[in-house]
Amino acid sequence: MSIKAFELVPAIERVHRMSEKTKAQIECMDVCGKNLYIGTTDCFVLHYMLEERSNASGKVLFHSNSQGQKHLALKKPIAQLKAASALNRILVLCDNTVSMLNMLDLEPAVGGAKIKGVTQFCLNESPVGNNPFCVEVCVALKKKQVALYTITEDRINHVKDMSLPEPASVISMDGHVVCAALLSQYCMLDYETGQQTDLFPIDTEHMRPLVKRVSREEFLLTGPSALGMFVTSEGISQRPPLQWSENLISVGYVHPYILAMNDEFITVHSILDQQQKQAIPFQGGVIMNDYDGRIFIASTKEIYSLVPVAWEKQVQGLLADKRTQEALDLTRNANHGLTRDNFLKKFKRIQQQAAFIEFSRRNLAEAQELFKNGQVDVRELISLYPRLMPSTSNFQRSVPGLHEIADVNQLARGDKQVVEEYKNFLRRYLEDIRGTVNARGFKQEIDVALLKLYAEINSPELLPLIEVDSGCDLKDCAEWLENYERHHSLAMLCKYHGDNDKALNIWSRLVNGDIKDDLFPGFEFVVNFLSNLSDHDLVWKYVEWALEKDQELSIKIFTERPAQEPPSERLRPDTVIDYLHRYPRAVVSYLEYLVFQKKLEKEKYHTHLAVLYLENVLNLMKANGVKKEHIDMARSKLRTMLQVSNLYRVQLILGKAKEQEMHAECAILYGKLEDHEKALRILVHQLRDYAAAENYCIVNSEGRDLNYRKRLFHILLSVYLDPANEKKELLVEPAIDLLNSNVTDFDVAKVIQIIPDTWSIAMLSLFLRRAVRTNMHGNRMTHIERMMSRGENLLVKQTSIEDMREAIVMNEEKPCAVCNRTFSDPSFVRYPNGVITHIHCAKNKHVCPVTGKLFSTSKQS
Amino acid sequence: MATPAGAKKKADAKVIILGDYAVGKTSLISRYIDGSFNPHEPTIGAAFFLKQWGSYNVAVWDTAGDEKYTGLSSFYCRNAGAAILAFDLNTASSYESLWARFLPLLDAAHEDCLKVVVGTKRDMLKETDREISVDEAIEFSKEINKNIDLSRLKGDPYFETSAKSGYNVSRVFEYMFQYCLPDTKLQLPRDTIVVSNAAQPVSSRCSC
Repeated sequence: MSIKAFELVPAIERVHRMSEKTKAQIECMDVCGKNLYIGTTDCFVLHYMLEERSNASGKVLFHSNSQGQKHLALKKPIAQLKAASALNRILVLCDNTVSMLNMLDLEPAVGGAKIKGVTQFCLNESPVGNNPFCVEVCVALKKKQVALYTITEDRINHVKDMSLPEPASVISMDGHVVCAALLSQYCMLDYETGQQTDLFPIDTEHMRPLVKRVSREEFLLTGPSALGMFVTSEGISQRPPLQWSENLISVGYVHPYILAMNDEFITVHSILDQQQKQAIPFQGGVIMNDYDGRIFIASTKEIYSLVPVAWEKQVQGLLADKRTQEALDLTRNANHGLTRDNFLKKFKRIQQQAAFIEFSRRNLAEAQELFKNGQVDVRELISLYPRLMPSTSNFQRSVPGLHEIADVNQLARGDKQVVEEYKNFLRRYLEDIRGTVNARGFKQEIDVALLKLYAEINSPELLPLIEVDSGCDLKDCAEWLENYERHHSLAMLCKYHGDNDKALNIWSRLVNGDIKDDLFPGFEFVVNFLSNLSDHDLVWKYVEWALEKDQELSIKIFTERPAQEPPSERLRPDTVIDYLHRYPRAVVSYLEYLVFQKKLEKEKYHTHLAVLYLENVLNLMKANGVKKEHIDMARSKLRTMLQVSNLYRVQLILGKAKEQEMHAECAILYGKLEDHEKALRILVHQLRDYAAAENYCIVNSEGRDLNYRKRLFHILLSVYLDPANEKKELLVEPAIDLLNSNVTDFDVAKVIQIIPDTWSIAMLSLFLRRAVRTNMHGNRMTHIERMMSRGENLLVKQTSIEDMREAIVMNEEKPCAVCNRTFSDPSFVRYPNGVITHIHCAKNKHVCPVTGKLFSTSKQS
Repeated sequence: MATPAGAKKKADAKVIILGDYAVGKTSLISRYIDGSFNPHEPTIGAAFFLKQWGSYNVAVWDTAGDEKYTGLSSFYCRNAGAAILAFDLNTASSYESLWARFLPLLDAAHEDCLKVVVGTKRDMLKETDREISVDEAIEFSKEINKNIDLSRLKGDPYFETSAKSGYNVSRVFEYMFQYCLPDTKLQLPRDTIVVSNAAQPVSSRCSC
């Protein structure tokens, strides 16, 4: 209720003829531009010129000049007067008669037109007619009637009468609607349709009815129980009622305020929220009204003006009272007369002030909205939290200050929970504006503040904040993170700022368990980091530590380098292998990586890996109590290696393998040496693995021609049927299986030669039958092929004959189709379409040089 | 008189709540608008709320129950498309006032104004103390609406509510809005037809 919307300023302190002694009093007045007219109880009309000036301090002062006076000689008070500047006239109601005076010299208008029997009159504020030199006037008559007139400079024309159930006491008009207070009720009259709409009952004995036009087609009426009722010309209400005081004398309206005067106070109400905003003590008021947006008040002897206090002052007053919503509403609706940009600037500042007020009152949702809309410099907010600003920041709060808050601790008065609430608010707000316009230019401040907030509560958001495009300053934040023991985050921050050494140092301590941090993902993370680290010196610094921790995991540092990393001297395979000497498992992994993944074709690595595999197998075999599966696994690894690679030194491995009687390995190695018979003998005799023997033939003949394959199978067969073998009976069965197998391939003639005579035909029948069938098939296929070729040959011959049959006569007049010269040589070229050229002019025998026609190439061949 | 659309530039419909002093009219509305239940000072004159319902704006007028405002309430009823006649389920006199005092006020409303009878403070009612039976109230609600077609609405225009718990509150308003506002779904196809009808003759003229 403490808003100061208006200030009371005297306008005419001593009205002419109104000394203390005389009984004359002000009865009515009107203001029109600089002209001020007063009607008195003793029938005088006074004319003043009123000038409004503001002094150096911005205070508004009025200077008045009496211009003249006129006595109407009726001994009755001037009940009402109204200036009609368009007509240069003032309308005066005195002794129930409306007459006209000249505006300037106050002489009665020529013609002396009058309206009689009038109790009250009003001007139509939104005239329906479009003649600018014509005023529409409605009068309330003593009888139960209102009448409508149009008035020109010297003429009064009666337009229409409307009868009423009761006489009207107060009327107001807008457009074609008259709102009238009758004896017992208000009603709305439409003079075009004649429609009369009853509004609501009133008790005119105990209260003075007032009808005030507030805007187009909207009136404000005094209702029962001191209510101000808004009514539209359609007879309904669009705004809730105002609650004001009893015994109102006058009502005025200057957007957005309604002013109501009773005998003690002038109260100011907002039309926006219907609340009372100000009360100005004022006794003895007679008239109050708004004249072209200015409020004038008359007491019995003096004239005052209510000068609106600058809206900014009002707003600051509201803000000082922490009435933010009202302040913002007022700002939005103020008649500020500023350019849009200027206004927005001011509005923003008010929003910012309001934001801090809501903030200090812990209305955080409202505060957030206002902070955002007001685009508060985020540093203003962060600086309210002790130690959250980056230490390098030299931010000073804006002058004049937006708020009077020292910091949040002061607001919370030591209540931990409240501080927590404020911190949560800041966190949410910063998260919200991060990356938006409001955050522009303050990335560092925002990120540092967020980091500190996250660190305090150990939020999982901490890491993404640091990792992705962080504006966090290292020095300041490092200290903070260390205090809150967010070691991993600190390491990440070091990494982000390129201090990998420090980061690795922290991680190694984390892995070693010297320090702890739940967010730290573990050793593997460090290995991944090292494997992607481009600073190879640093990699070497930590490799040893990592290998000591876990060889197999750590080898990833070397094996999982980024694909696009340029080769470096420090990470050459040889250097690495030399270094890894002490870490047997690591070296195997590394070699595997070189051989199988990188596919480096260097004999050295292949041999090294094969030897290591072999050693591994040997170690396992030597050791006691090793499970057979382990050995088998190791051996199969070795065998795969031996089989797949062609680069290792076979002899070296073979020697060792032979020593240890590792037959399967020997077989592969012999295979590599192309000593297939030896290999197959081992497979058949030592290992008795016939399937493996067969497989050996297939694997080793892969990519070779059919004959090679046939040869391998033949060798296998001869191994089976070796007459020198003592237990050859045992091998009959695999031999037959081999012969009957679908996958094998034999030169039948050779097979029959080595098959022992003792074998029965029955044993061989399957093989023989198939052999005969295959041969037969081959024979027939060849036959068909031959015949088809012969046919084709015949066709070609026929074409050739046809082409040659036609005689071509050559003479000197026949030129070459290409160069247009004659032929000097007997040889020439004739295309199938008859074009004849020199031999050297026929560049392509498939394309006609003249027409470009393409001749089928297949036919020619 | 003006149509509801012309009556208020912004609002598409007007609903009003009437009923005796302290039956909980303001509580009922603020439960629906704000979703909360707070003690209220007695309403002076009237209060006004704007409710967004789908694409429509509905003006909800809250009136003062005090007898001295009866004249005003009648004024605020003007052009109302639907009215809530609220009474306190625990006070038989408030039920009787509906018929005696408030029903006549609705003469100013639309001719086809829907009158929904709403019993309030359901949470405070013990079934054993019930003075107004459900059947009686339903009978009354049908009787006062006999000039309008209720068949397209679901259920009878009688509800028992509790603003404290929120019980049945939004159903009352949905019921009324359904009556006052054309269903958006129904309106769309109608518009399309109008457009196509207008377009056809134009195109045929052009081709001549």
